[in-house]
Amino acid sequence: MTEATDLAERAGDRDPRIGLRAVAALRRLLEQLEAVQVRSARNQGWSWQEIAAELGVSRQAVHKKYGRQ
Amino acid sequence: MFERFTKDARAVVRSAAVHAERAGAQRVEETHVLLALLDGEGGRGSRALTSLGLPPGRREGLVRDLGEVRRRGGLSRADADALSGLGIDVCEIVSRVEEAHGEGALATEGKGSSGARVFGGRLFDRGARELLADTLRIALARRERHIGDEHLLLALSARRGAPSEILADHGVTYTALARVLYGEDGEDGEDGRGDDGGDEGDGGVTAKAG
Repeated sequence: MTEATDLAERAGDRDPRIGLRAVAALRRLLEQLEAVQVRSARNQGWSWQEIAAELGVSRQAVHKKYGRQ
Repeated sequence: MFERFTKDARAVVRSAAVHAERAGAQRVEETHVLLALLDGEGGRGSRALTSLGLPPGRREGLVRDLGEVRRRGGLSRADADALSGLGIDVCEIVSRVEEAHGEGALATEGKGSSGARVFGGRLFDRGARELLADTLRIALARRERHIGDEHLLLALSARRGAPSEILADHGVTYTALARVLYGEDGEDGEDGRGDDGGDEGDGGVTAKAG
């Protein structure tokens, strides 16, 4: 019950600053998560092509971003 | 501009590079500069921290908070709060990722924006370079001839991001720093040269004005 009220309160929170900040933070978190997963896949012998396919981006894009590590 | 840095400011820049190296980071970041500032003991920046209740022996809280930010992949507490507003529990994510990939897996080192060499071959990331530019700007706006560790600290506190949030959590804001450094409330007051004994500060200064 209290949880539902909390959620309702948050949904009603229309301050753009908070929403934008959440988006920026999410983007940052996403970048870190991607780096962790790519590193892990490389350690397990995945090719750049395979990683790119799972991420839905081009092989060049992944390689350019993580290739030199 | 490096020739106008005081001995203490140079020490901070050098020590930031050491912190970066020790953390395995490819580039010097703003957090490394903050760690270096916290190491300082004699500079005006360090004395300002002491005036604000953070003498050299009592800065572990800040170091710990910085460690937490690093562990969360660079997200500050305010970032984590904003995400919890979306129903995303950053702590939970961190602990699951660490379970699968080892402790500190999300920590930020390794990647980052493109680096540029500053000051004798050290790579500074974009944020750290902007910090140096802000530092210069602040010193110039105050009509100071030297660039000291206090200007680095002022610049850091005036920027966005985890370091300034952590500083603010511990009572170190731009306004508070300006008060203890220059005895002023706001941002004006350009009496330039510090009044409390410029013993260091004059050390490595050349009178060149750009």
